[in-house]
Amino acid sequence: MQDLGIRVLFEGNNFARLMGGLGITIQISLLSVLLSIVLGVLFGVFMTLKNPVTRAISRVYLDFIRIMPQLVLLFIVYFGLTRMFGINLSGEVSAVIVFVLWGTAEMGDLVRGALISIPIHQYESSYALGISKKQTYLYIIIPQTLRRLIPLAINLTTRMIKTTSLIVLIGVVEVLKVGQQIIEANRYTAPDAALWIYGTIFFLYFLTCWPISKLAGYLEKKWKN
Amino acid sequence: MKKATKFLSLVLSLALITVLFAACSTSNKASSASEASESKTTSSDSSASDVSEVKTGNGTARSLDEIKESGKIVIGVFSDKAPFGYIDSQGEYQGYDVYFARRIAKDLGVEVEFVSLEPSSRVEYLETAKVDIVLANFTVTAERAEVVDFALPYMKVALGVVSPDNALITDVKDLEGKTLIVAKGTTAETYFSENHPEINLLKFDQYTETFNALIDGRGDAFSTDNTEVLAWALQNEGYTVGIESIGNPDTIAAAVQKGNTELLNWINDEIKTLADEQFFHKNFEETLAPVYGDAVLPENLVVEGGVIE
Amino acid sequence: MKDLLTIQDLFKQYNKNSDPVLKGISLTVKEGEVVVVIGPSGCGKSTLLRCINGLEPVQNGSISLDTQVLTDKTTDWQSIRQKIGMVFQSYDLFPHMTVLDNILLGPLKVQKRKKQDIIPEAEALLTRVGLLDKKDSYPRELSGGQKQRVAIVRALMMKPEIMLFDEVTAALDPEMVREVLDVIMELAKGGMTMMIVTHEMQFAKAVADRILFMDHGEIVESGDPESFFTNPQTERAKQFLNIFSYESTQ
Repeated sequence: MQDLGIRVLFEGNNFARLMGGLGITIQISLLSVLLSIVLGVLFGVFMTLKNPVTRAISRVYLDFIRIMPQLVLLFIVYFGLTRMFGINLSGEVSAVIVFVLWGTAEMGDLVRGALISIPIHQYESSYALGISKKQTYLYIIIPQTLRRLIPLAINLTTRMIKTTSLIVLIGVVEVLKVGQQIIEANRYTAPDAALWIYGTIFFLYFLTCWPISKLAGYLEKKWKN
Repeated sequence: MKKATKFLSLVLSLALITVLFAACSTSNKASSASEASESKTTSSDSSASDVSEVKTGNGTARSLDEIKESGKIVIGVFSDKAPFGYIDSQGEYQGYDVYFARRIAKDLGVEVEFVSLEPSSRVEYLETAKVDIVLANFTVTAERAEVVDFALPYMKVALGVVSPDNALITDVKDLEGKTLIVAKGTTAETYFSENHPEINLLKFDQYTETFNALIDGRGDAFSTDNTEVLAWALQNEGYTVGIESIGNPDTIAAAVQKGNTELLNWINDEIKTLADEQFFHKNFEETLAPVYGDAVLPENLVVEGGVIE
Repeated sequence: MKDLLTIQDLFKQYNKNSDPVLKGISLTVKEGEVVVVIGPSGCGKSTLLRCINGLEPVQNGSISLDTQVLTDKTTDWQSIRQKIGMVFQSYDLFPHMTVLDNILLGPLKVQKRKKQDIIPEAEALLTRVGLLDKKDSYPRELSGGQKQRVAIVRALMMKPEIMLFDEVTAALDPEMVREVLDVIMELAKGGMTMMIVTHEMQFAKAVADRILFMDHGEIVESGDPESFFTNPQTERAKQFLNIFSYESTQ
């Protein structure tokens, strides 16, 4: 009886299904992160504009996204859009949209922080050398911004991977849900499967996030000014 | 204007470089992901876990003709509630609800596409027509009947009470002044707090905790749906379901979007027709009997032809 | 000696409602001359330097370097700034680059010179300021005084016609001030034209050919260091110098 739980893990296609679930998790978070980075950079620059209107807009957007639980956003996009406008998006697309809305806000704030954290005299001492504005951004400002940004962006990625466990509520079957399906399917025959399945999922999350966190830590250390 | 173009060039170069960096740092991950998803598509049939195929209307339920024309009916079921709706180790949907769902599709002459539902979003799925039918252990309540249309019932559930053999509770009177374990949000919690205030309730958030609490002796008995306690007592020696049926039996039925009378009538007719061949008894034998064995009589669960005796 | 830098009637205001920071400044700096600008905080002396290399726009008046007028709308600041070296109060090295890369950036990217041609120059200058062994270090590994010496070398690499020093020792720990001032003093001896804003009165006295005393956006007094420090002509200059002679009057 002892080995029943671990047997469930490799029964039939169970393990492949878990990996498939992990694939969904990673695909959605990866796509969301990439889009969030691009849009977040734009939003971050937008936030540094000194215009009071753009400031108010970005403030409201940032606060709205932060206050709203991601679950509510998922429901608004997945069910709300269908209800109000008859727009029927798949669970995956809805998930990516919500994660990008969220990621853009977070990323934008990070970009803004990185941009304003570059002291003004970095620009000035570059100009004083006769370096053009374009070159100043290219050689002085962007490299420093990126160094501050990339570790943070990577941390955002791991946060996104972990948050994907919510998307099951809009019908996207990701790794955690697959795990629950396997556990429940064997509830009567192998009750201790839960331990093995959750253990495996923990391990999979760890395998995915750990190298990313490591990379963030490494870059942070390497680029410490 | 000049400033704007400078800003734009900053933005674009930042974006590009960042994407490149991110792409490099995650390329390993991406390749393993695509591998994983490949193995997924080959391993599970089209019905399992693929919501992207759902192409129902735009919030309004589809007519019977539209469903037939598309060649596919979308049915929302549970994917983690054995033995009613679950996924087997081959990645196939199985269970009492699923068995009925497959029959509906067969008699409509269409394929079935299953969508994995969570209890909390079943109504939403119908309201937004993301599924044609919900067949997910949906208990009929007056509240729900206001927002969805229930078909005739195909199952009934009452509460059961399980207790240790050495202090077996066989009547609700035995529980007076004793501690009864319930899970929060279940019908058992509502029933006992409303009708039997003389019984002390010990409430837990999680289902798994309740059984453990009974084993640890933190309560004298545990009550929830009789299907659950019966199945559990079967697996746990020394425990017996002393009260097999208490409270008003709840009925379980398929549901469609409010006002989708056409599909509703079709399902009702189907249920009546299926009574001739005792379809739900056959369903019970196939899907539930292997789990419940002799512990549950089909008459305690199955509703044939939508008629409750 | 010919006039290198000529400023006439320079007027500067940060915004329309504020008091002007420079109220009609006129001065000339001859080739090889070392002009030290002193004055109380907020007198406009730093702003004056920043206007000279175009970091601050001016509202009125003219600045010309040699024969070029800098106060035109068409001023090509990128080429002008190569002729005007500037070192700031804050440590302004680029933190993500080594000392050598900091020094080479200007010649490489602005003057498009070849790396192998300029490395010997850079190393020679680093040797002069005693920092050759730090060429591969990052700014965070240097002390404040070392950073400022590198900043001076970085400006010198552009072969400027004039150097502007804006309170370069103000943010330094006292024990590091000397090493930076020594470098500037040596540049002065080498004939470099310089405008220096400083609070180091002893240094000002030693290095300057001429002292400009500014207060409230105006040049109040101008003269050779000896007579200025021993016998200031204006009341405002006397008061200002008194602050620095606090100890000796005790």
